[in-house]
Amino acid sequence: MKRISLSRVFLYLVLLFLSFIFLFPLYLAVINSLAPWFNPPTAVPTAFKWENYYWATELIDFWRYAKNSLIIALIYVPLTTLSSGLSGFAFARLKAPGSNALFICVLSTMMLPGIVTQIPTYILFFRFNLINTYIPWLVWGIGGSAFFIFMYRQFFRTVPLELEEAARIDGCSIFRIYWNIFLPISLPVVATVTILTFHGNWNDIMGPFMYLREARYPLSTALSMVGYKPPGGDNQTIMQVTMAAGLMLALPIMVTFFIGQKYIVEGIVTTGIKG
Amino acid sequence: MRQIKQTTRRSIAFYTMIAPWLIVFLSFALFPLVYGFYLSFTNYFGFNLEDLSLVGLKNYQNVFNDKDAMGALGRTFLFAAINVPLGTVIALTLALLLNHNIRGRSVFRTIFYIPSIMPAIVTTMMWKNILFTGNGGILDRIIGFFGLGPVNWLGYDYALFSLVLMSSWGAGGGILIYLAGLKGVPDELYESAAIDGASYMQRLFRITLPLLTPVIFFNVLMGIIGTLQQYLQPILLAGDQLLARPIKPIYLYVVHAFQQIFANQRFAYGMALLWVLFLITLLLTLVVFKTSRLWVFYEDGGD
Repeated sequence: MKRISLSRVFLYLVLLFLSFIFLFPLYLAVINSLAPWFNPPTAVPTAFKWENYYWATELIDFWRYAKNSLIIALIYVPLTTLSSGLSGFAFARLKAPGSNALFICVLSTMMLPGIVTQIPTYILFFRFNLINTYIPWLVWGIGGSAFFIFMYRQFFRTVPLELEEAARIDGCSIFRIYWNIFLPISLPVVATVTILTFHGNWNDIMGPFMYLREARYPLSTALSMVGYKPPGGDNQTIMQVTMAAGLMLALPIMVTFFIGQKYIVEGIVTTGIKG
Repeated sequence: MRQIKQTTRRSIAFYTMIAPWLIVFLSFALFPLVYGFYLSFTNYFGFNLEDLSLVGLKNYQNVFNDKDAMGALGRTFLFAAINVPLGTVIALTLALLLNHNIRGRSVFRTIFYIPSIMPAIVTTMMWKNILFTGNGGILDRIIGFFGLGPVNWLGYDYALFSLVLMSSWGAGGGILIYLAGLKGVPDELYESAAIDGASYMQRLFRITLPLLTPVIFFNVLMGIIGTLQQYLQPILLAGDQLLARPIKPIYLYVVHAFQQIFANQRFAYGMALLWVLFLITLLLTLVVFKTSRLWVFYEDGGD
């Protein structure tokens, strides 16, 4: 009995120590975002200059970039979630000539390094005069994402056949079956896909850098391109304001994770992604 | 008759439902892939799309004669050889620690997971400006506490180490999938092992890890593909512009391709560079798949 509780204590100590290591950089980011300008990095809170957060929105066109981020997310995220679900359902529940070969295409896209197709895709959008518009995100959204098609498929395959058959006897069309039966029970997966898609989209730097110009950059790309310099020409970046801006960029990611964490864990368990 | 109608109806429904994916896949994934392959055999430099001429294998010959490219490729392999196993061990260890019946489990899980979803720009700014910086950086102060001298973290000797360190901080991304995999290990196995008096280590190596190999396999594969393509973090560590050129030790292969395309306008050559990487990735994936029969345990005995 004593041995067990000792190993327990040890386990907690290890977990606390590891938590400290993982949290430490984030803690540093927060306290340095509140420190006076141009100070060297600090490991203890020295001041609480909340106005750094104001300057983060003031020294660059912060809210415009944030608005761009939001527009891109609103175009891309719902479409991908819906479209991937539709394809995932078809691959899981419907057999058709060629469906297996097409599913192998889905799997191969997951393995394909995205960067290989980016330049030719750029040329394609350039030819259609769609550079510096948000239309590419509309197109990608409609296409869905291979990874999430796979995730939906894994989940829909676990739904018992009887559920579907009962509905079919009642004369439901396949679309009705998907919409009224499959989608409602897959809420954890829908939530997971929505949140993970949002994270990928919100954090993307290179896509917008290639397909958009500065005025339409989302926040992530803007923060990697424009440094925070004090007004009046000094060429040194203000680390404290940069950290404040970075934390504001990370905030929606953290909030959506906290809200959806229950679903994400459940979603990953039920889809049983294994490969 | 009715049977036939039923299957045709299902086929039509299938193709209607996957149509959005299929159309975009054909026109914005498959077509660019093939088109890019074609471009890698031309003299495309950004402005001559109307007037391309074929140059045969010249771009590919250049790839293998390009010392920077070959050096970067070797470095990328080295980075992957360190980063993928290290990341796997970290995520797996964290998941195993969390796979106990403990208080505050979801809090610990969140703490380990959060760094992996931080935007790349925030992670690199944080590490670069606060931890790595030579201007009173926190890492220097920590090692100074143990009597070690300041280190040039982003200089030639330590840049790769720093990149690995920063990547390891975000390695907790895999824990959710590992935890899901651990949930799938049947309790009966542990119970009968306990009756036989097996120690924790015996249970770990005889039951848990073998049953987890499919999940590990999936993560290792994705890790290899992702690491070979890594270019954003080295660039962001190098400067505050996306065209910044990282120093040699973290000048990875895709960084080189990126430089050739965007800084030097060598588009066709860049496509050849990327296609070489793509073929290497395919080859590696194939090798990993082939060897997986030796170490991945499938409950249904394969396939």
